[in-house]
Amino acid sequence: MIDLAVNLLRLGLGLGAVFFVGHGIQALALPISGEWRKLEQAAMNFGLGTVALTLWMLALTLAGIPFSLQVTLVPPVALSGVILILKKRSEKGMVRRAHPAENRKPKTENLVWDRIFLALLALLLLFATLRATFYPMWAWDEIATWGCKAQVYFMSLSLDLTCIEAHNYYPNLVPFLLTYLYLCLGQVNDHLAKAVFPLWGAMLLVILGFLLRRMGLTRTQTRGTVAFFALNGTVFIVHLHLAYADLALAYFALGGAGLIYLWLQDKAPRGSLAVAAVMFAGMAWCKYEGPPLAGTVLLAAALTLLWLRPPGLGGRLLRLGIPGAGLASGYLPWKVYLIKNQIEAGSDHIMGFYPHQLLPSLGYLVDGLFNPFYFGILWPAAFLALVWAGRRLFNSASLFLALFLGGNLLAVILAYVVAPTGAAEFEMYVRATLDRLLLHLTPVAALAVGEGVKELGEGPGANKSPALFPNPHHNPL
Amino acid sequence: MTKAKVWLVRAILLLWSVQLIWLAWYFAPEVKELAQSVADRRLGEEVRREDPYYRWLQSLAGLIPSGATYIFLDDYEAGKEIIARYHLIPRKHVLLSPNVPPIFLFYKVRQEKAAFVIIRDKERPPGPGLSAALGSPAFQPLDVPGPGLVLQVDYLKVRGEFYD
Repeated sequence: MIDLAVNLLRLGLGLGAVFFVGHGIQALALPISGEWRKLEQAAMNFGLGTVALTLWMLALTLAGIPFSLQVTLVPPVALSGVILILKKRSEKGMVRRAHPAENRKPKTENLVWDRIFLALLALLLLFATLRATFYPMWAWDEIATWGCKAQVYFMSLSLDLTCIEAHNYYPNLVPFLLTYLYLCLGQVNDHLAKAVFPLWGAMLLVILGFLLRRMGLTRTQTRGTVAFFALNGTVFIVHLHLAYADLALAYFALGGAGLIYLWLQDKAPRGSLAVAAVMFAGMAWCKYEGPPLAGTVLLAAALTLLWLRPPGLGGRLLRLGIPGAGLASGYLPWKVYLIKNQIEAGSDHIMGFYPHQLLPSLGYLVDGLFNPFYFGILWPAAFLALVWAGRRLFNSASLFLALFLGGNLLAVILAYVVAPTGAAEFEMYVRATLDRLLLHLTPVAALAVGEGVKELGEGPGANKSPALFPNPHHNPL
Repeated sequence: MTKAKVWLVRAILLLWSVQLIWLAWYFAPEVKELAQSVADRRLGEEVRREDPYYRWLQSLAGLIPSGATYIFLDDYEAGKEIIARYHLIPRKHVLLSPNVPPIFLFYKVRQEKAAFVIIRDKERPPGPGLSAALGSPAFQPLDVPGPGLVLQVDYLKVRGEFYD
């Protein structure tokens, strides 16, 4: 019992350090932190912290320095501490801008529903946390890839790929994070370390909630939409307790795409593009599918700007270079490692062009989107919300959501058309991957649902075009 | 909001309610089992020990030195060899099909300097490679209770320097 308490304390301190490192990075990114709510900051800090810590571990690898708790943890924590102290000094005497939500009258549209939605989410997270921490890793990719690598890295105190032959080119954010937690625990404890995944899911839900609030949803609408996302189908729920990288990618994709979406609407708090840049780095560094996914966010944002032609178009397009730089900073260090070690990337997923796989892929995709087993009725609801928007879709930033989601659904089909599988194993290959590819996009689809939900609460006199760049001079950097 | 839209929203909410009930039903067995584990304070390693395959792997871990290489004969699709690899780390793991021909098995033993050959399912009729190994003095079956078969190998006694 004492052992368990000590381990829980070590785990808590280890995870706390991740938040602290993220807090330091966010302090660098945000001019004045008063525009961000504490909980919102914490949810972002977790992602920023994981990116910083694990990229630091990659830097140690490239420098040939073996992992240890001191070497892994002390420099990033010390750097964060220095940043926070300097930030505090520089902010002395400055007036913090109030969060826009603070200026609104507190609305409690429906206290009963508020509590019901919160209770549902709390029950889900309780189940996921117990499920993750009571049972050891035994799902396929936990023991074949992510957990296996973490165990080897911990034992050899380095990025040792001797146990992996097929997927050694996969980025290492998740294995490094697990390795770091093993260093904190002083042992390979794969059930306690899994606590990080329900935490990741909870942070994703918090980010989703704040994005929806900033989009203009009321509190009840926000909580309802978050519950609608979390409790629809089995895929998200199962990934809350699996040591896979897909939940992490979904988190970073939501953070990156969501902040860009707010920025397109001039609803983003200052510093959003810089925070989005770190989210883009996280996308590139946590999964092989991350860089193209991040690329589609940038492409959808650029196309939306070009279509809508807001004032200061050129400057806005240039500012997309900030998240673009984040993408490069998450992608390039690992690419350098791969080149240096002559590791070939991606040949087991991308080989040639197999047009006969096109139609079956389309069928599987439709099944993945509409079969309630996977995502319930979330995707049909998202499509309805986009259709509901009607012509407004083409003269508002909602176009970004449509382009991002539509473009990625096409990309999923393309991914299966270039996948080198035999006829006999094609179905198995799709079934083993499709739900996860859709999971990366589903939180962003929930933003589309949010747009539809917002419409429900708007009366006839409400502004029907909230996303038409109401203040072109506002610079949310 | 038009009447049609009102009905559409009601339909979505109704479907979601049905979905919530279905989710509760779908996860109920898992919740029940989890509640039992919580009540019994059974977690992590204790849960794992309930699996006979894991217990067998633990006995193999006690047998195979940590720097050694072992060849594991199994089908990848069965999903059992990844479990073996996970629990036998840092030992080097080489997967071969149970139907591997003798010449390739012997070649791999020699090339990898393998100290053990492990057959996951001893009930399965031996393939050509395993049959040849069982007839060779270089392979010694060990008495390890469990679902599989364990052979200790002296790779120096195996002739297999070349494979074409």
